[in-house]
Amino acid sequence: MTPAASVRPSVALPLAYVCTAVVTFVLAAAAVPWLSTELAGHYYQPHILALAHTVTLGWITVTIMGASFQLIPIMLERALWSERLAWWQLAFMVTGVTGMVGHFFLGAWSGLVWSAALVALGVGLHLLNVARTVRGVGRWTFTARMIALALAGLGLTTLVGFALGLDKLVHVLPGDLFANLHAHVHLALLGWVLPMMLGVAARVYPMFLLSAEPAGWPGRVQLWGVALGTPATVAGLCGVRGLLVAGAFGIVAAVVSHLVWLGAMVRTRRRPALDTGLRLVLTGAAALPVAAALGLALALDLTSGPRVALAYAALVLGGWVSLTIAGMLLKIVPFLVWYRAYAPLAGRAPVPTLPELSSASGERLSWVLLTTGMAALVVALWIGEAVWIRVAGSVVAAGAITLGATLASVLRHLVRRPAPAADAVAARRPA
Amino acid sequence: MATTVITEDQVLAALTSVLDPELGLSIVDLGLVYGVRIEGGHVGVTMTLTAPGCPLHDVLADWARAAVAAIPGVEGCEVALTFDPPWTPDRIRR
Repeated sequence: MTPAASVRPSVALPLAYVCTAVVTFVLAAAAVPWLSTELAGHYYQPHILALAHTVTLGWITVTIMGASFQLIPIMLERALWSERLAWWQLAFMVTGVTGMVGHFFLGAWSGLVWSAALVALGVGLHLLNVARTVRGVGRWTFTARMIALALAGLGLTTLVGFALGLDKLVHVLPGDLFANLHAHVHLALLGWVLPMMLGVAARVYPMFLLSAEPAGWPGRVQLWGVALGTPATVAGLCGVRGLLVAGAFGIVAAVVSHLVWLGAMVRTRRRPALDTGLRLVLTGAAALPVAAALGLALALDLTSGPRVALAYAALVLGGWVSLTIAGMLLKIVPFLVWYRAYAPLAGRAPVPTLPELSSASGERLSWVLLTTGMAALVVALWIGEAVWIRVAGSVVAAGAITLGATLASVLRHLVRRPAPAADAVAARRPA
Repeated sequence: MATTVITEDQVLAALTSVLDPELGLSIVDLGLVYGVRIEGGHVGVTMTLTAPGCPLHDVLADWARAAVAAIPGVEGCEVALTFDPPWTPDRIRR
């Protein structure tokens, strides 16, 4: 057996995470027009906090966790340490996030803390599982380092978030509520999501684009920009103002370097044509420089206030992160389904290609609706008009539903084409 | 006993039916096939994957073995995977 054979991916596990996350995304998107009046006001309201955690935990974090279980074995050439632990983790995350969102919505802080504890337990299991998977990795590549940074960021974000919830019952946190809240948000965004997405991009985008793996100074700038910029930004938000600007410049340098790499990958790609999944990823990346500029403007006090903050959050979470994740799901889900349903038949019967599993028109429609909807939502939130937020939110919701329906049509191949388990392929191989 | 002579062109033609399911390109066009060795009715194929740890490891090797085994006269086929040298996009033929 060659080393690669030991990292054969589990299909059911990442699919369970991804399906959970997509359902959550549809619910969150549908809630935007419903909460348009609240979204036209200040962001620190129970319903907005519920929506924010539905997006950040239920959609973004659960997707990243599930995708990690498929991608980390590929990217780092290591088998997942414990699949059983990952199933327990999903149970804790689903229960905890549901409880958190419900208690945020009701403004019931005691229940919120208990639910947050379940989420913290799920995160703890994820950290243990991935840390044990990564332990002993032969080569500390850019991606491996970024994943390590992201795991540290996830742990710290969870601790601070839990402390913020506990602070509602027992005063445990020093400093101003909003300073702590902003620190928590940026720890999640810059400490967890950013390094994970930059690390994955460097390894996975070349595979999809058929381009050379990126190398050189942009990698070092990204690594140091995130490693130094995140704690500086968080410390700055907690009161050390000088560090905020320095941290923001570090993050902007990391983002620019990522875009330099991405531009080089796109220019040198050998892939004949970009599919909708890659178009979504690249459209999401287009939101990144705008978000970085807006973040820098906020750090430099060139602009401020709840309207800009909400627009900034929508640009980052809805524009960059959600579009990128949606694009990646249009690649990951068909692959997992193909691997499960058709890989055992390959070479013995005609099998479809991955694009043939999905609906091209459904993918294109979700791309159009999500990109236009997200762009309109950012503008509507900045303006602060409930009616425009409702219109833009409806377009986003339509895009999320279309994405969900498109992915569901891919999943139908699991039922339509019953096949022996993918492991049977290996079993049939001569020793 | 009549013997069928197997040629490298036949083997490569058979391997063009082995597709990367994501790209829709054959492993030959992708430049994943590093070499073909023919000894009588036995065929050896040395190939790579686009990345170490590629989850299609078993699938593509098994598919290539089945494709070559279907050539008339082939009595046995062995597919060896190597990552030395690593694959680069420059190996793509079209």
